[in-house]
Amino acid sequence: MSTFPPILRRRAFNAGLMGSAAVLAGAGVARAAPTRGGAIRLGMASQSTNDTFDSARYLYGNDYVRGTSTYSYLTRLDEKGEVQPEVAESFEPNKDATSWTFKLRRGITFHDGATLSTDDVIFSILRHQDPKTASSAKQLVANIKGVKADGPDRITVELNAPDVDFAVLIGIFQFALVKNGTTDFSKPIGTGAFTVKEFTPGVRTMGVRNPNFWKEGRPYIDSYEMFTILDASARANALLSGDADLITELRGASIEEVAKSATAQPFVTPAARYTAMQAAVDRAPSDNKEIMYGLSYLIDRKRLLDTVYRGYGAIANDFPIKSDSPYFDGALPQPSLDHDKAKYHIGKSGLGNSRLELTVSDAAIFSVEMGQLMQREASRIGLNIDLKREPNDAYWNVVAGKRPFFATNFHPRPTYNMLLNLAFKSNAVWNFSHYNNSDLDGLIDKARATLDVGQRKEIYGQIEKTIAGAGMIVLPCFMSYVDGVSNKVKGLTPVPVGNLGGFNFTDRIWLES
Amino acid sequence: MLAFALRRIGTALLVLVAVSVLVFAGCEELPGDVAEVSLGNFASPDNVRALRAEFGLDRPAPLRYADWLVGMVKGDFGRSITTRTPVAKLLRERAANTGILALATTVIAVPVAIGLGLLMALGSGGALDRIGSVTVLALSTTPEFLIGSVAVLFLAVKLRWLPAIAYIGAEAHFGAMVRALALPVATLAIVVSAQLARMTRAIIGNLLGRAFIEMAELKGVGRWRVVGVHALINAIGPLANVVALNMAYLVSGVVVVETIFAYPGLARLMVDAVQARDLPVVQACAMIFCAAYVVLILLADLLALLFDPRARPTRTATA
Repeated sequence: MSTFPPILRRRAFNAGLMGSAAVLAGAGVARAAPTRGGAIRLGMASQSTNDTFDSARYLYGNDYVRGTSTYSYLTRLDEKGEVQPEVAESFEPNKDATSWTFKLRRGITFHDGATLSTDDVIFSILRHQDPKTASSAKQLVANIKGVKADGPDRITVELNAPDVDFAVLIGIFQFALVKNGTTDFSKPIGTGAFTVKEFTPGVRTMGVRNPNFWKEGRPYIDSYEMFTILDASARANALLSGDADLITELRGASIEEVAKSATAQPFVTPAARYTAMQAAVDRAPSDNKEIMYGLSYLIDRKRLLDTVYRGYGAIANDFPIKSDSPYFDGALPQPSLDHDKAKYHIGKSGLGNSRLELTVSDAAIFSVEMGQLMQREASRIGLNIDLKREPNDAYWNVVAGKRPFFATNFHPRPTYNMLLNLAFKSNAVWNFSHYNNSDLDGLIDKARATLDVGQRKEIYGQIEKTIAGAGMIVLPCFMSYVDGVSNKVKGLTPVPVGNLGGFNFTDRIWLES
Repeated sequence: MLAFALRRIGTALLVLVAVSVLVFAGCEELPGDVAEVSLGNFASPDNVRALRAEFGLDRPAPLRYADWLVGMVKGDFGRSITTRTPVAKLLRERAANTGILALATTVIAVPVAIGLGLLMALGSGGALDRIGSVTVLALSTTPEFLIGSVAVLFLAVKLRWLPAIAYIGAEAHFGAMVRALALPVATLAIVVSAQLARMTRAIIGNLLGRAFIEMAELKGVGRWRVVGVHALINAIGPLANVVALNMAYLVSGVVVVETIFAYPGLARLMVDAVQARDLPVVQACAMIFCAAYVVLILLADLLALLFDPRARPTRTATA
């Protein structure tokens, strides 16, 4: 990867092709055989005293890295976003995907020596349904009717409604495999690649190699130490000075700075992460579809991608599915900057001379810049946009969804269906637009229940049309993840659900000796 | 003297109680429900209710305030809402980090600044004074993040002499700690000593125009002795106050330096806690910061009293 000049690399990712990323990364892996030993230091962009080892409460990247390092999961996602076996050696649905059977690998032990049993696995799934647990996966487990053991190495999950992606869902960070009955996570015991040596919430996490890890010969590194570097340029400096080996979220000029250096390189993961402008459709004036139709023509998507995202991303079409997905329907026309069309829709909206208040915040990354671009184009057609900048603090609780027009930001989920469930279904917690459409709800459920790929694609086409036509969201571009990685770290490959290999990498990277 | 000290300590306690009311009221006014923000979007109404009950958030504010105040007097800051661990445990490492940073900076900055201020006052109007004054003025108006960033760029990224971040690892030994702290301490020491040096020069310069200095000079006391003894002893009061204010600032206000050097100190903890609505932690930090100001200024006042010749009628002001 590092042999490509930055410009070339950027162009390759600009094309938004997952394939090219996987090929580049693959070439890097093939070069050398992994070597054992060494310690890595991870500088993370987010900080929270909320840091936890209780996977039910996971919300941030730091938690995810802690999870994938300490615990094991039934499945994981690969570079193509496809599900791969982990603790579940194999898995299969029944013929209508209402029941899934997972065959567990034998002889996996916890850090304290106990053997992983079907009881532990069942507990790890069902504890998210427990009303006493404030689980961030609560909504996702609502579809589980029951889990039962099928002999010593097999479990079967019965679902209320069919789910073709259930094997993906069960591999997400919240479903860490823990010991049956665990309620205290201050001294975490998992079956993962590392045992916890030190954990100070908001300060540091340190893990050392688990010699009894079930993956033969792994992990390659002896230990990892994770801490927070909140400031973007301080993060880049720490990487360049060698004080951190991997950092998340390079920003702005730091990307070029790292690309030029002889010691580290940007690590790009094309993904369906996005920042969008949304309208609260349950109140005036934002229930007026024409306003959002107009705004959709008032953003220069190419310019946003090139200048604000520095080329690391892909142009989007006002719905959350990226063009490299098999579910992407190319039939919808791609909106671009068009003053005439914008003027037509704004005129039709009857907004007249009223000013439009658009709420932005650093809580939704780059929304301030996006708002400024829209504001400038709007002024050219005589529309006055007031940009209201709100602090990040409690933005998601007291601002998003509570103003007529506001910015939101979403990270990709392992499947598009999961995101649609969380953010577009009627009454979903993150449905900030308060969009209420039982037809769309039905389509989202149907897509999850349809085994035939062709039919599923058709349903997603309808979903895309519904969302783009609802006048609730202007989603101009997707943003790739850009992290920084020291040249001596090998074996890291992009997984399109998050930073640094989808936050799941400590058991597969090694240090060049 | 004793009566004065007792009176001051009494006032300081009153100030702390008043501050505690303000801190508590301020936390009550933060937007967003405490339980909702700290549990995240996925909490069911049951979860929120359970958390409110667990932390007694459903009780009336005056009761909660009273409990909090009584707990604090007994040395119990309560439990953090987000981590469920005692606040004191969360504070320990952070407070130690902040203490180390503030102390190291003070130990370096105060002698340097007072020495520099004296030199400038001595050579008032001369080349040393003018160059010194311009440099010190420039440095005291330069924001910390600029000094810090430039230092990191050259000393850490380009030359690789020192680490770019002041992160002290889990197994750091003394040498590594000194190296890690070098840049943040230097950054703060530059800013603080620039300000202190300016104040020292101004205070001493002011005193040098006074009648008793003229008297000493007329008596034939040497210039060094006039400045170093007659003027300095009178300057200790005002200087102690300036040093106290700067130290209190180092305890509470260095969030910028903590951020650019990724140093886990108290100021950063408080910002994080506000964002997570972890009110017991916010309140504990706020009280520590206020107490730092109150105690340091109290000490400075007492020190000023000790060194004030007029406050010691037993000793005649002869030299």
